[in-house]
Amino acid sequence: MSETKKDGSGPKKDHGVLYIGMDLGTSRTSVSASNGVRETVYSVVGYPKDVVSQKLLKKDVLFGKEALEKRLSLRMYKPLEKGVLKYTGDAKMDAEAKANLKAAQDLIGEAIRLARPRQDELVYCVIGAPAEASVKNRQAIVEAARAHVDSVMLCSEPFSVAYGLDWLEDVLVIDIGAGTTDLCRMHGTMPEEADQVMFDIAGDAVDAELCRRIEQTCPGAQFTVNMVRDIKERYGFVGDAAERCIVELPVDGKPTPFDLTDQVRAACSILIDPIVKGIHKLVASFDPEFQTKLKSRVLLAGGGSMVKGLDTAVEKAMRERLGSGKVVRIEEPIYGGANGALKIAHDMPADFWEQLR
Amino acid sequence: MAGFRESLRDVVRQLSFRTSVDSLKKRGVQQVSVLGLDRITALIEAAVHRSLKAQLVGVERAAVADATKAEFLRLLRTNEDLQRQKTASEQLRERAEEEIDQLRRELLQQQQALQQRLAPGEVAAANRHGQEDAAIVAKVADVVRSLDAGTGSQAIEQRLIELVMDVVAGERHAADAARAAAGDREVDQLQRRIKKLTENLGATEQRLQQLAAAGAIDAGISSIYRTVQGLDAAAAQVDRKKELMAAIFQANLELQNKGADGTGRR
Repeated sequence: MSETKKDGSGPKKDHGVLYIGMDLGTSRTSVSASNGVRETVYSVVGYPKDVVSQKLLKKDVLFGKEALEKRLSLRMYKPLEKGVLKYTGDAKMDAEAKANLKAAQDLIGEAIRLARPRQDELVYCVIGAPAEASVKNRQAIVEAARAHVDSVMLCSEPFSVAYGLDWLEDVLVIDIGAGTTDLCRMHGTMPEEADQVMFDIAGDAVDAELCRRIEQTCPGAQFTVNMVRDIKERYGFVGDAAERCIVELPVDGKPTPFDLTDQVRAACSILIDPIVKGIHKLVASFDPEFQTKLKSRVLLAGGGSMVKGLDTAVEKAMRERLGSGKVVRIEEPIYGGANGALKIAHDMPADFWEQLR
Repeated sequence: MAGFRESLRDVVRQLSFRTSVDSLKKRGVQQVSVLGLDRITALIEAAVHRSLKAQLVGVERAAVADATKAEFLRLLRTNEDLQRQKTASEQLRERAEEEIDQLRRELLQQQQALQQRLAPGEVAAANRHGQEDAAIVAKVADVVRSLDAGTGSQAIEQRLIELVMDVVAGERHAADAARAAAGDREVDQLQRRIKKLTENLGATEQRLQQLAAAGAIDAGISSIYRTVQGLDAAAAQVDRKKELMAAIFQANLELQNKGADGTGRR
């Protein structure tokens, strides 16, 4: 096999084929690749505010944690909101929308770089994107990826999770992201609109609720939403607490310990009710013969599924409202979508990839 | 065979990457399975051997083993080439850095020389002109006083001073112009040299940046696949998966054809 780009330029792509699966999320973007690389980066992009900060940082653009750490010197962009790009494709886009589009393109480029592709390998990429994304939005993602790979495809995010686990029939996937929670019913074919439920009570909503509760119950405590997100990721739980959430927050500049156990539990619990309502809707509208099977095959995925005890709490609520329920949390919530997308990339026939080059 | 095993161990070591326990935890990994380097090497060797034994016989097996060994050695040589290239670019970078230091020192010297040339010249000229003026005025006044004239002598003195000053100013102007021209030539020459040095410095710095960037470019990690894969005929639910792949492809073809109206596909 000896390949070059179609215009004849660029290095020979005769070394091999690198498959990349990408989960482009509101909070995190994760990649899994066929060279064994698995990386995740916070979906934030920062550009130096002025020449002085550019000289100091020695970079034109920063991503993820590094951008968050240097955010005082940067113009920060979070290019995804509620699971989709902050981009409408409208010809009269304002400067902010254009800047967000550029940030999204740079973020996708960085995610692909993180997969460490070789220049002499063909790179084929599948990106898990929300089913609700508009056509313009999805085209923007494809164009952004095209600059870095030889061929790219998009697929529905919950579908890629299920495909990655080989659960293709009578399974209900719950993907709890930062911006949205997506529920998707799989029955052996590509899911249609009626098979999906989406709502915006997800990781960001939990953060907002936790901020509100800390403000109410911890007078004088100083914090940012980033600090609150870290607390949630470290301690997030529902049901019985395995450990007390003792957290130090500054009060008038002095680190002061606070017990946030009740606040964390209450904030994380806001996820349960809408999830069970979504399950109810998808189960009730499914073929009655297969409803019991569907209830017993509920997959919990996405960063939000790392809330401890959430699977048990959803199961309990399902038993109360639907008579039965069995919820399984996937082993690697952060990489579930990316692993599935990688598997799709691997299984896609060669001529399909060629036609999209 | 021992040499081959050692090479295999080196390659496994090179292809592995390090990560911390904290990093794994952040990725949601709670438990990891650990497999030693020797064990991995032995497994690869055993798998290759088993596969060859199962599928090949006699001469064919020997030919495949030779081809595999040749391929392995080729990969090793590629790796060595990369190492050599890396060393060469590091040497280039060091040379460029030395060059930059030298250019910077020269630039500084030239700037100091120019400064020294310009600064004292102006003060010296002002002093010289003041002394000349005073001398001329004194000489004319002496001449006029020596004339034993009555009324109107002051007016005559004034007119005489003006006359002489006028002549002297003209001479002085010409002399200054000549001096300035000579100085300008020198300054111009120094400025040209500074400009050239600045350009050289800029070009060398740019080259250094390019070298640094080239050095920072990651050669990447090889995929485990040499060719495009596709669904395994023995995979579970293979027919259903084929349909799903076709559906995903069709949706993407439509999406990208719509996008191609505006931007065009490669």
